[in-house]
Amino acid sequence: MRLHEYEAKEIFSKYGIPTAQGGLAKTPEEAQEIAKNLAKPVVVKSQVLVGGRGKAGGIRMVENLNEVGAIAEEVLKAEIKGYKPEGVLVSEKVNIKKEIYLGITIDRTSGIPIIVICSEGGVEIEKVAEHSPEKIFKFEVVDPQRDIYAYQLISMVKKIGLTGKTLTETSNIMAKLYKVFREYDGLIAEINPLVLTEEGKVLCVDAVLEIDDSALFRHPELNKRKLDAMSERDKRLMKKGATFVKLNGNIGLICSGAGLAMATMDMISDYPALSPANFLETGGGITSDLMVDCMELVLEQPKLEAIFINLYGGINPIHEGAKGVAKVIRERKLNIPIVAKALGNRQEETWKTLEEVGVHIIKESETQKAVEFLAKLLGVKAK
Amino acid sequence: MSILIDKNTKVLVQGITGNIGTTQTRYMLKEGTNIVAGVTPGKGGLKVEDVPVFDTVGEAVNNFPIDVSLLFVPARVAKDSVLEAIDAGIKTVVLITEHTPVHDVMEMKAYALQKNAILIGPTTPGIITPDECKIGILPTNMFCPGPVGIVSRSGTLAYEVAANLCAIGIGQSSVVGMGADRVAGTNLVDILKLFNQDKDTKVVVIVGEVGGTQEEDAAEFIREEMSKPVVAYIAGTSVPPGKRMGHAGAIIEGGKGSAKSKIESLLAADVKIAGRLYEIPSLVKELIS
Repeated sequence: MRLHEYEAKEIFSKYGIPTAQGGLAKTPEEAQEIAKNLAKPVVVKSQVLVGGRGKAGGIRMVENLNEVGAIAEEVLKAEIKGYKPEGVLVSEKVNIKKEIYLGITIDRTSGIPIIVICSEGGVEIEKVAEHSPEKIFKFEVVDPQRDIYAYQLISMVKKIGLTGKTLTETSNIMAKLYKVFREYDGLIAEINPLVLTEEGKVLCVDAVLEIDDSALFRHPELNKRKLDAMSERDKRLMKKGATFVKLNGNIGLICSGAGLAMATMDMISDYPALSPANFLETGGGITSDLMVDCMELVLEQPKLEAIFINLYGGINPIHEGAKGVAKVIRERKLNIPIVAKALGNRQEETWKTLEEVGVHIIKESETQKAVEFLAKLLGVKAK
Repeated sequence: MSILIDKNTKVLVQGITGNIGTTQTRYMLKEGTNIVAGVTPGKGGLKVEDVPVFDTVGEAVNNFPIDVSLLFVPARVAKDSVLEAIDAGIKTVVLITEHTPVHDVMEMKAYALQKNAILIGPTTPGIITPDECKIGILPTNMFCPGPVGIVSRSGTLAYEVAANLCAIGIGQSSVVGMGADRVAGTNLVDILKLFNQDKDTKVVVIVGEVGGTQEEDAAEFIREEMSKPVVAYIAGTSVPPGKRMGHAGAIIEGGKGSAKSKIESLLAADVKIAGRLYEIPSLVKELIS
């Protein structure tokens, strides 16, 4: 779960990280009010969860406070890369002397947190890594069970050339950021930029916090926020561990297993006339009802021409899942072509249930055979 | 021979009284796995299919010799249960559970390393040494004994690869699902090391997928130390960056973890690449004969 900038800043601020003053506005009037209270030039920032806001016109400087309402109105209306903002953050404009980058992420192979510090902030860290990797310093937190000590942080921060009060303040902020990362089950915690102002202050000007979805049970408030934004069906799918990703092609996919789903997508993509309408992975909790939800979700895809089902019965009772598929076919009197490959525990029962409702069953283990069958059925050829 | 488990392996099931725990215990017993005990706090004294249940792992190990603990526990207690097994001295722990918080996995991984234990998973289908022992949820009818070692980041893909090999008469020494999360308890390289030492494994198949750098790291190990031929397949060549494909680990982030980067590294280590799943059996066959 990726948090909005304003949400991340609220949390950072709660942990004592100094952040630029401001607030979230959902209307131009609210924006004007916040600016009036700040009584200094402001920045109006679109609250969307996509990168590259600045370039897309989602960040606007406003010197004349009377214009805040009008500009906020424009930003509130503007979609960024197809996403509507949740609001605008009206924030004091700070006088930048230097911008730096502080971030924490997880090294996936070693399974330990990595702290990244860079003497250049305000730009994407990946870009800096390309043109001046010497500015980036990485530190492995050897023992994820333990806190980091102040002396360790000071030695890290010193590497980017900070001295005196800025050195200790930045080290303190890093310690607080690490605390947020740990206590909020962070996947990424980032301050970019951390600004050293002309007035000698150190301020968090932009913030990123992404939280592990699997850990949301430890963060009931955030979990509620996430659930409130979801449909009932999406909630049911999530509860069962199923994952859906919209892909806009013509073949609806239902697979038990993410790897299997990806491999199936790859094979379908070998046919220029075919492409996956979606990625749908059932997880290990198949029931008849879950398959009803899966079928209905796939049937909503606008360009759908056929459905491809690929299941293995290891932990999954596929014979139960088949009942859900059959139910949807019967109740909706579907005649869209459906090809299914289902193997493993109780495969014979599964085949019987599906064959009775006209599903084409492939009994071999090779997914490729089933994809070839689908292509033949639709009369299309491989490239 | 095999890796990690064989016909003599004695197994403990943590979470044995749950719905999945009981069903899968029944399957494993029928297929010959030597399950000696189970654990569910508060259910001590019960029996599941004649297997005695204890309240703690400590009590179980006091009563039976145990080589491997297999866990079917809820994600929110996964860390506690894994640490309990390691603290009781069990050296191989297999965590089937999906959706375990990654910060908990980091802690378990660090603890396993410190105590010299092997943690397989989370989100693993488990391990099978065909005709000898199955520890996990893999459907046994997909596998057959033989000379190929399979290590897979995806569960169901491991089933399909094994079944496709069996269809042309090639069996497996052991099949290991390393788990599909952002962080895995045991890395791909560690499993390759075990296969490299196993005298009955002649060829190794890696079933990888987009996300992370496990395959790139494996390529380095293969180039430097692996003495056996390796075939690899990477799922997700058609996956767009930035979209998480079900597995917590399957996402191309910041340009890292693309299928292209993995395939290039593996090719440079002389690994035979199967561009599509169905190409694996013929590549393996060539290497064996």
